[in-house]
Amino acid sequence: MEKGHNNTTTKRYGMVIDLDKCTGCGSCMVACMQENNVPFKKDETDKIKSITWLRVYKLNNGKPYPDTEICYLPRPCQHCSGVGDHGHSPCVSVCPATATDYGMDTGIVSQIYTRCFGCRYCMAACPYHVRYFNWWDPVWPKGMEKSLSPNVSVRMRGVVEKCSFCFHRYQLAMDRAFFEGRKEIEEHEYQTACTQACPSKSITFGDLNNPKHAVYELKQSPNAFRLLERLHTNTKVYYVSSKEWVRMAGDNYLKDEHKEMARAKG
Amino acid sequence: MKLSRRCFLSFAVGAAAGINLTPLPWKLTDDLSIWTQMWPWTPVPPDGEYTFENTVCTLCPGGCGISVRKVDQRAVKIEGMKEHPVNNGGICVLGASGLQYLYGPFRVESPMKRVGNRGEGKWKKISWERAIAEVSEKLGEIRASGSPEKIAVISGNREGTIAGLWKRFLNVYGSPNFMTPASIEDSYEAALYLMQGAKGSVGIDLENANFVLSFGAGLLEGWGSPVRMFQASVKVREKGKVIQFEPRLSNTAAKVDKWVPIIPGTEAALAMAIAHVIIREKRYVKNFVDTATSGFKAYQDIVIKDYSPEQVAEITGVPESLIVEIAREFAEASKPVAICGRGEGRIPGNVHEIMAVLALNALVGNINSEGGIWSVPKPGYINWPDPDLDENALAGLQKGRVDSAGSEQYPFAKSLLDLFPKMINEEKSYGIEALLVSNANPLFTMPDNESVRKAFSKIPCIISFSSFMDETAQFADLILPNHIYLERYEDVSTPCMFQKPMLSLAKPVVKPEHDTMHTGDVIIKLAAAIGGSIADAFAWDSYEACLKETLGNQWDVLKKQVVKVDYGFAPNPWAYESKTGKMEFVATAINKSPDSIIGIPHYEDNGIEGEAGNYILIPYDTMSLSTGYAASTPYMLKIVSDKVLYHEDTVIQVNPETALELGLNEGSYAVLATAVGEARVKVTLYDGIMPNVIAMPSGLGHTGYDDYMGNGKGVNINQVLGTVEDPVTGLNAAWGIRAKLTKA
Amino acid sequence: MDSELIPEGVQRCSLGKFILWISACGLVLAIGVYAMILCWLKGLNQTNMNDAYGFALWIWADLAIIALGGGAFFTGFLRYIIGIKELKNIINYAVLIGFICYSSALLILAIDIGQPLRGWFIFWHANVHSMLTEVAFCLSCYFAVLTIEYIPLVLENRKIDKIPFFHNLGHNMHEVMAVFAATGAFLSFFHQGSLGGVAGVLFGRPFGFREGVLIWPWTFFLFTWSAAACGPCFTILITKITEVATGKKLVKDNVIELLAKIAGWMLLTYIIAKLIDTWYWAAHTAPAMGFTFSQFYTSDPGSWYGYWILFLEVVLGGIVPALILVTRFGRTNKLALWIAITLACVGVCTNRWVMVLQVLAIPVMTFDGWFTYFPSWQEIATTILPVAYGAILISLSYRYLPVFPQERELNPLPGQEAETVEEQIEEEQEEPVGKLSPAAETA
Ligand SMILES: Nc1nc2c(c(=O)[nH]1)N[C@H]1C(S)=C(S)[C@@H](COP(=O)(O)OP(=O)(O)OC[C@H]3O[C@@H](n4cnc5c(=O)[nH]c(N)nc54)[C@H](O)[C@@H]3O)O[C@H]1N2
Ligand SMILES: Nc1nc2c(c(=O)[nH]1)N[C@H]1C(S)=C(S)[C@@H](COP(=O)(O)OP(=O)(O)OC[C@H]3O[C@@H](n4cnc5c(=O)[nH]c(N)nc54)[C@H](O)[C@@H]3O)O[C@H]1N2
Ligand code: SF4
Ligand code: SF4
Ligand code: SF4
Ligand code: SF4
Ligand code: SF4
Ligand SMILES: [Mo]
Repeated sequence: MEKGHNNTTTKRYGMVIDLDKCTGCGSCMVACMQENNVPFKKDETDKIKSITWLRVYKLNNGKPYPDTEICYLPRPCQHCSGVGDHGHSPCVSVCPATATDYGMDTGIVSQIYTRCFGCRYCMAACPYHVRYFNWWDPVWPKGMEKSLSPNVSVRMRGVVEKCSFCFHRYQLAMDRAFFEGRKEIEEHEYQTACTQACPSKSITFGDLNNPKHAVYELKQSPNAFRLLERLHTNTKVYYVSSKEWVRMAGDNYLKDEHKEMARAKG
Repeated sequence: MKLSRRCFLSFAVGAAAGINLTPLPWKLTDDLSIWTQMWPWTPVPPDGEYTFENTVCTLCPGGCGISVRKVDQRAVKIEGMKEHPVNNGGICVLGASGLQYLYGPFRVESPMKRVGNRGEGKWKKISWERAIAEVSEKLGEIRASGSPEKIAVISGNREGTIAGLWKRFLNVYGSPNFMTPASIEDSYEAALYLMQGAKGSVGIDLENANFVLSFGAGLLEGWGSPVRMFQASVKVREKGKVIQFEPRLSNTAAKVDKWVPIIPGTEAALAMAIAHVIIREKRYVKNFVDTATSGFKAYQDIVIKDYSPEQVAEITGVPESLIVEIAREFAEASKPVAICGRGEGRIPGNVHEIMAVLALNALVGNINSEGGIWSVPKPGYINWPDPDLDENALAGLQKGRVDSAGSEQYPFAKSLLDLFPKMINEEKSYGIEALLVSNANPLFTMPDNESVRKAFSKIPCIISFSSFMDETAQFADLILPNHIYLERYEDVSTPCMFQKPMLSLAKPVVKPEHDTMHTGDVIIKLAAAIGGSIADAFAWDSYEACLKETLGNQWDVLKKQVVKVDYGFAPNPWAYESKTGKMEFVATAINKSPDSIIGIPHYEDNGIEGEAGNYILIPYDTMSLSTGYAASTPYMLKIVSDKVLYHEDTVIQVNPETALELGLNEGSYAVLATAVGEARVKVTLYDGIMPNVIAMPSGLGHTGYDDYMGNGKGVNINQVLGTVEDPVTGLNAAWGIRAKLTKA
Repeated sequence: MDSELIPEGVQRCSLGKFILWISACGLVLAIGVYAMILCWLKGLNQTNMNDAYGFALWIWADLAIIALGGGAFFTGFLRYIIGIKELKNIINYAVLIGFICYSSALLILAIDIGQPLRGWFIFWHANVHSMLTEVAFCLSCYFAVLTIEYIPLVLENRKIDKIPFFHNLGHNMHEVMAVFAATGAFLSFFHQGSLGGVAGVLFGRPFGFREGVLIWPWTFFLFTWSAAACGPCFTILITKITEVATGKKLVKDNVIELLAKIAGWMLLTYIIAKLIDTWYWAAHTAPAMGFTFSQFYTSDPGSWYGYWILFLEVVLGGIVPALILVTRFGRTNKLALWIAITLACVGVCTNRWVMVLQVLAIPVMTFDGWFTYFPSWQEIATTILPVAYGAILISLSYRYLPVFPQERELNPLPGQEAETVEEQIEEEQEEPVGKLSPAAETA
């Protein structure tokens, strides 16, 4: 499947996240929030009302002391391509106002805040819970709005937002390349804020179609898997784990399938 | 009037079309939608010119290089500085959200003088002239009364020019009382001094090790220099293995190769047992032990007699076979290293435990060699001329320290802040007339909060230099706010546990947001105002001038590249600074009589405080909560798990088995009581914790700052934690506290 | 005082009593309106919805009232397209109930969206692939149709009818009603279906996702079908309630029984299709995604979605009423009929709940748990608002409009015979009542 894409110029930006390295430290989450002007409230402990474009989940193997194991799993938007990479992602296909769209040239699922009218159908469609609704007006404590970046617009109350793969960084890189008379950008020119911040370098970002990009090789690891592959969402975020129970946690399996999959997945 | 069907239809259609042809409905709907996109209460960040400026993060002792992205004069993002030797572009949550400190509304915007009762929160803005005049008058008075020792400084800076200026100030003033919040570094340094005579700081060459035994060091919870530790542990695991001993499945325990649960506080015994196996099986590096160490025989005797894996399995709860297996693996590795770092919160810990771990390292010959534990010289760039001390000063300095550090009882301690409240409350020392708190927040961070507050109440004058309205500043009489790190110059020496001498320069990347002043400048101005020999000792015009002069030709280099590392540095592996010139298994500095074991590594069951209760409460840390330097930022509080903080409640971790015993369920409320205090908490069942052990997060329960910074969220763990004096160092060695847990 | 407005030949309660009743409803309405305004001004933080439960009480209420309002389109379809004449005796009321349901649905939608002032983007920036776009278009068109169907009834008010313009307008509208009814039936078929498609197309949500027929998921047809089956039951239910409330018989039994019989057969066939769908999905669709049937109906922590909800929806709300309604006894026995129509309404409401809310409650990622939610008072108040509004509109219509053509005949005023009523509705002359005898009906 991948080979067919090698010769095309279509980019499919994606990530490979090494769960063996991820420590759950949360730098990626905070870097993302600072980069993307994510609002906050006084109390953010109700996690189903707390906007975190990137959320680090804590998984456990369900075993009692002392056989308990835990693993952290960072979850940005998976930028689903849908079957056949046609952009039939769960969310894009349902949005009645075309406020979220699939970029055929990048594979990035965009979100147009000023177009979104807040019906939340896309949230119902996304099985990864990556979409967040602005239940409140975005207000910053007095003075703190000074730290907002002009690269990303602040979202108004009543619309949905989510990880954009830091699309503004792609645009800035492309603009720079254009000024320098280049049509294309190098791997290092476009990196997401979370990738950049991660202290243990767990996240690798790049064009999954480009053999020169690190993600191209990494995603082919026998330990690589994606979340809920069986739903045919065809995501562009790959995870790597040497632990079988972690790989199994990526998808739902029936009891008898479980053993087989475990064997097949190495 | 008769209306035909045709007429009716054309009327209806016509009317509909007619209205829609007018621009009115279109214009209105369009306007409405545009208005919803530009609600005036939704901020629109102004655009401008983009620049990046590199500097050092001083929010923790990590010493990371950071790159601040600016739009015109506004800082909009902090990123890790690429190719910085400490963090290589990485950054932690605290560092990444640093702008929330810079622009936060909880900053002290100008000098303030208390007008209401202490702690009541009523303040009056005053000018810098007034503030400096008031402080200098006060200090002048105390000095004139003939007891200059009665002032004290608590400084978060231990090294560098700010600490230097404070020490110098106290010196010429006549007070010996320069105190710093203690940390595990103090105990490491004490142990290194006792065993090797080393006067430097401790460095761990983790990147070059390939087998790490960690006795509770939170490599992934912020131990040492957090970002570096993350990266180093990944490196070690790529070529070898990390084993974590800890009562709780912390992030570190979860992410290393093996987690070995251990009864809290028994790590020293385990280290001794591992030594037992290594010695018994003659697996130690004989050459090294024979030529570069002394006292091996005495150590060996104790190890063999009292610490067989069988005996120790009993003490620690670690199976005998596992101890043997790990000991063999450790001895066989080409670059093994053992470290310890658990502390009660960030409590310095038991010096014998660190000695036991250092001894283990000595057995595998890695003291001061590649991949091992190094002693790193302290920076020597501060070479100010000795000040002239007047008689008053000389008399004051004779008085001995208020916290008993350096006394006969505690000769190795430089500062014993944790004893300070006790000395004041129990009137074991002279009283303090004025307390100056710079870069520290003792009223929040010190164990047994209540007694600290009590001690502080007895001090007639407290002056805070905090940039923020933190708990200590709230309790002060005067606040002379410092610039925050992004607004000021500051020299930063070798980061915590870094193995090569390093010097960095933090520099202002933005103009000061408020009417604040660099504490360095304040010290210089205070000295000038007090006059006499004190003024003479501070001949600089400004802090910047002082720093420039101090750094000499390094100033320009550092201004340009932020950091300078002595990459060529390597400690001498076979020669030590102790009296015998060897690495001493029996520390001669303290072992005065031959049958005493005080100078020999060993395990003592003395790290626990309190009698009440069947359970052991241990504090734990998570990267998403800042427990030391300043409160957690809104972004940190945002990512904190709801299993740590839930609305207003601290959530404690309890093993399901223990919970069952107590009739507690997931989400139950309970009252946690220790000898020190009580707290109402919420319970989460966690399989990753030993039965009978309770873990509680530190860093919660602020009352200063503001609601966005966690005011009223959770309880401050220091409400229920106490201290235990280490018999050798006097530093706090409590690793836990007995607790009672009852259903609320 | 208002006797001038009341249709001739019928008895209505005193104005005082009426005002008291309307005020009571008005109070409930006012609370709902207050809650609604709060939601508009302060935003959806007034609700207890959350990022996991992005659709909640309102969307359920929306789907449920549209299903219940399905009586209008299906009765209209039967009356105007199939040509079952008896149904004209209940069509007015069916249309009124439908109008109430659909206007309420639109109102709720306008509260439910985060940016009500941009609601029109759904038309302006329409994404033709989205089921919600289809819903929005068909729903608003059908609402227009219902309005057109309701207006003539309003124009028949005694006072209004006296104005020649309105008289003629009403007459003309009646003439073209079949065209609108047909359009309405067609539109309804699509929006009921696309409402079913809303959950059915969610391939990221294994509980909702149902393999499709051509471009539509199964649920598309199931929703239309169930609305056609249960909508008429709701029409009957409300009629019966109105009869109880007014203490009068308003529609003849044969009309009710005929509608009940049709509904019964629709319900029976629907429930068979539903069972096949459930079986296929449980045996094929869900396992292919790694789920077992039981996973969706566990009472895991945080979930109260046990098998009971399936039983309620399919057996109590489907099979039982269907069996009652297809039997003659069931239809003619008063109590049985009451039970059956109530259960059918409960069944379809449960189905709508399950298809939107259970879909969201179920964990899809293995490390998620069941999601829970309980509505805030603002949500409850705004959801009850349509009930109060409906009660008011029904009361007004009943009092002032000739909603029930058989009322006069069934409740002759003392000393007056039904035949003596001078003014007769034109159609009534053309198509005399009661042409079909109950016996002929079974043919
Ligand atoms: N984000 C952030 N990072 C920081 C700082 C900060 O303020 N914020 N501060 C820095 C400073 S000053 C310091 S000193 C370091 C401190 O860093 P650490 O020394 O790592 O401190 P803790 O994480 O509090 O403790 C480590 C672990 O010890 C375990 N523990 C508790 N009791 C016992 C015991 O009896 N035995 C064993 N084996 N383990 C036990 C706890 O479960 C915890 O997981 O962090 C530095 N890093
Ligand atoms: N609860 C708890 N207590 C602890 C620990 C723990 O983990 N948990 N750890 C122990 C350890 S290891 C340590 S090192 C100590 C740390 O103890 P402290 O040094 O007392 O505590 P910090 O909060 O680090 O002190 C930093 C204070 O300096 C101020 N500050 C920050 N930035 C600036 C600035 O730019 N200018 C000025 N003027 N002030 C600034 C803030 O008000 C902040 O509160 O705490 C010890 N006590
Ligand atoms: S993860 Fe969710 S939001 Fe992102 S593309 Fe997939 S369905 Fe859409
Ligand atoms: S909430 Fe916004 S983005 Fe999501 S489906 Fe509705 S209009 Fe589209
Ligand atoms: S890619 Fe960008 S937007 Fe997405 S999670 Fe990472 S930092 Fe956030
Ligand atoms: S920053 Fe890296 S290590 Fe930390 S949570 Fe994110 S991915 Fe994991
Ligand atoms: S680890 Fe410490 S020095 Fe490094 S970025 Fe974080 S707070 Fe700053
Ligand atoms: Mo520390």
